[in-house]
Amino acid sequence: MAITILAPAPAVQPYRAAEASDSDSDDGGADVHGDINMRPSKRARHDYADIVTPGEVVTDEDQWMRATVAGTVQKTNKLLSVRPLRARYTPEIGDLVVGRIIEVQSKKWRVDVGAPVLASLPLSAINLPGGILRKRTETDELQIRTSFSEGDLLIAEVQSLFQDGSASLHTRSLKYGKLRNGVFMSISGTGGGGGVVRARRQLWTIDTMNGGGKVDVILGVNGYIWINKHIEVAGGDTVITRMEESVSATVYSSQNDRLPNRARDSANRTKRYMIDF
Amino acid sequence: MPREVEPSLNEKQFFVKALEENLRIDGRAFDQYRELDLEFGDELGVTDVRLGKTRIHTHITAEVTTPFPDRPFDGLFTITSELSPMTSPFFEPNRPSTTEILLSRLLEKTLRRSGALDTESLCLIAGQKCWSIRADVHVLSHDGNLVDAACIGVLAALQHFRKPDTSTEGESVTVYTLAEREPVPLSLLHFPYCVTFSYYSSTVEEGETVTLLDATLLEEQLREGSATIGINRHGEVCQIAKLGGVPLDAVAFLGCVQIALVKVKEISVFVSKRLEEEAKKRDKGGLMAELSAENDRVS
Amino acid sequence: MPLDTSTYSLALLRLDGRRWNELRRLTAQISTQASADGSSFLSMGNTKVICTVTGPSEVKAAPGASGRGDEAVVSVEISVAGFSGVERKRRGKGDKRIYEMQTTIATAFQATLFTHLYPRSTITISLHILSLDGSLLATCLNASTLALIDAGVPMRDYICATTAGSTSSYSSNDEKADPLLDLNGSEELELPFLTVATCGTEDEVSVLVMETRVQVGRLEGMLAVGVDGCKQVRDILDVVVRARGKRILEGSQL
Repeated sequence: MAITILAPAPAVQPYRAAEASDSDSDDGGADVHGDINMRPSKRARHDYADIVTPGEVVTDEDQWMRATVAGTVQKTNKLLSVRPLRARYTPEIGDLVVGRIIEVQSKKWRVDVGAPVLASLPLSAINLPGGILRKRTETDELQIRTSFSEGDLLIAEVQSLFQDGSASLHTRSLKYGKLRNGVFMSISGTGGGGGVVRARRQLWTIDTMNGGGKVDVILGVNGYIWINKHIEVAGGDTVITRMEESVSATVYSSQNDRLPNRARDSANRTKRYMIDF
Repeated sequence: MPREVEPSLNEKQFFVKALEENLRIDGRAFDQYRELDLEFGDELGVTDVRLGKTRIHTHITAEVTTPFPDRPFDGLFTITSELSPMTSPFFEPNRPSTTEILLSRLLEKTLRRSGALDTESLCLIAGQKCWSIRADVHVLSHDGNLVDAACIGVLAALQHFRKPDTSTEGESVTVYTLAEREPVPLSLLHFPYCVTFSYYSSTVEEGETVTLLDATLLEEQLREGSATIGINRHGEVCQIAKLGGVPLDAVAFLGCVQIALVKVKEISVFVSKRLEEEAKKRDKGGLMAELSAENDRVS
Repeated sequence: MPLDTSTYSLALLRLDGRRWNELRRLTAQISTQASADGSSFLSMGNTKVICTVTGPSEVKAAPGASGRGDEAVVSVEISVAGFSGVERKRRGKGDKRIYEMQTTIATAFQATLFTHLYPRSTITISLHILSLDGSLLATCLNASTLALIDAGVPMRDYICATTAGSTSSYSSNDEKADPLLDLNGSEELELPFLTVATCGTEDEVSVLVMETRVQVGRLEGMLAVGVDGCKQVRDILDVVVRARGKRILEGSQL
């Protein structure tokens, strides 16, 4: 056959250093390397032994269990679980997620959060414009698109889970709501390997160079990431309800603000760095 | 299009419970076929197979065409199968369902690829003229196990069919009408029949698989795996199709092949018996008896 | 053109120099496509397949598909590249052989994956066949297994597949016939063969497809060799998955 098809190169190869040091460590000659390469390979070697693959028995006891995904075994007292190396996001209550509106229904939105099924955001779980004490009316139902419409990005928290594992979201906090003035990126799912780890803090503010100002990075647990210009929360000393009113006037605006070029550059640059990372 | 109705939970539980007690809903043994009936039409090459409530009509036709340029010495043999909305409202015309495509693939593999019909004998003039034999399979009523029934139908029809006699002189071929010359039977090399097994595993206790033969429609809808084995009575396996489904032990599978062989021998005997009866009915003492003007006298 | 396999009995070596129980070179990679949930590239000899898995995700099921609400539906799409064979040939969507392969792969995985964990969703497996040289169904099954593991979809065990043939033709009933493992394209044209896929290390046959005529007596040998080949394939795939897992873990420690 005249045509040879070359195997495609793996999409991302970020771990070259670790790989190189590892091949040496198999020969037992790892010590010649510098300290920087040494540490990861030592720990990784320990982890390598722990990888299980589907069908592998994960217990030595009588009640045997088998792994169903490739990943690492985690032991919590007597509970054994296998964390997959890579998998779709599984929602859990309290997760901070970045999502995208897919469908608008009469009383709720359907939101893509990278999970097996779309999450739902009921109309009752958002802050309606005009303050926290406002009653939800039929007009709101009719004008549901003025809050969020298809394609809008938002940041929300998982409020509860349905029987089938799909999530119900809420944005009842000033931290949550529609996203604008920034760029979106996603990294693959969750799990022991790639993805965003559930952490205490998922909103980071980074100072950038060249007068780009501050940049906010929102790491959604579902692997969706939003990078935008840092917004100063106006006047920390005002009464809570007042602030609610003043912010909510613009909170559902889909119009991007005019950003200084430098601010836009720094957001984009941050995105590139994150991809490299 | 109406969606196919799935068996209700009630029916399912009843069926599973019965299986656990080694019973089938219609009271058959696990390896027992439903009542098989084979009728022939007035025309040659028309059969009507009934397997329980499944009923399949097969019609063989022959015409003279040009062979494919890459196979100049072979005649053509095509099998077309049709599941019309008459069978069930869930079949749409002109949009083949999975059942239909798998049925035609299985028939094709069992009968055509295994060389049941000697296509070389259908050649009249190499590269120019050959017979094209076409088998039309019409499913009149679908109550499971279409493949086995269709296979019996087509094979019986092929054996029943007679193609017009021909003579070749140089480049010209003469096709004689039925009145001019006695038509000739097709040359069949072997008779592969299909036997379909249905497997049920999760319904019964752990690690045990129940195997049923000749499943009805309900049993087919509830099964977790199936295997169709095409085999002739000489023990030549012509095709095996276990298309996914529940995993089965390799040794148990070889057992299935042996069961299939036994069943195929039974089916072969039945079909040839019916063909003999039919031949006796048709035989009126040859051409002279047919041409005689004498009436049966009623005294 | 018929192929002359009569030389086999002289040296007990096949056309490509393998012995009866040897696989062709099997190479595999995981996570080749960044945008898919799971992907793999697998080649068995000169048969090369790219597989991408999307899902489980909420996709409107195709009309007519038996979409049950309580478990995920596995749907398979196979596209054969025009340049995959010796002749450039366009295969339409209506090809029944391809359709049969799609249903086979879909039903095989439907029974092996834990689909009940993902109600109301669809797992789409798309297979792109880049090069064709025998053992197509087996290669597709192996590639799908790897891509599904990459996507992190829970499954009972690996589904591994190979082909097995026999040196006897169907007409002769010679006892000397040897079973052969992993046939290439030209051997498939000539010899009776079957494709067998097993689930796990025990001899649990998930898929068994044979399209050629063979004596019942030959079948046992062919099946045994095939099942044994599946175990070899499983070991190779397992190494690939572990190597990938090791790399990912090292990366996350950095």
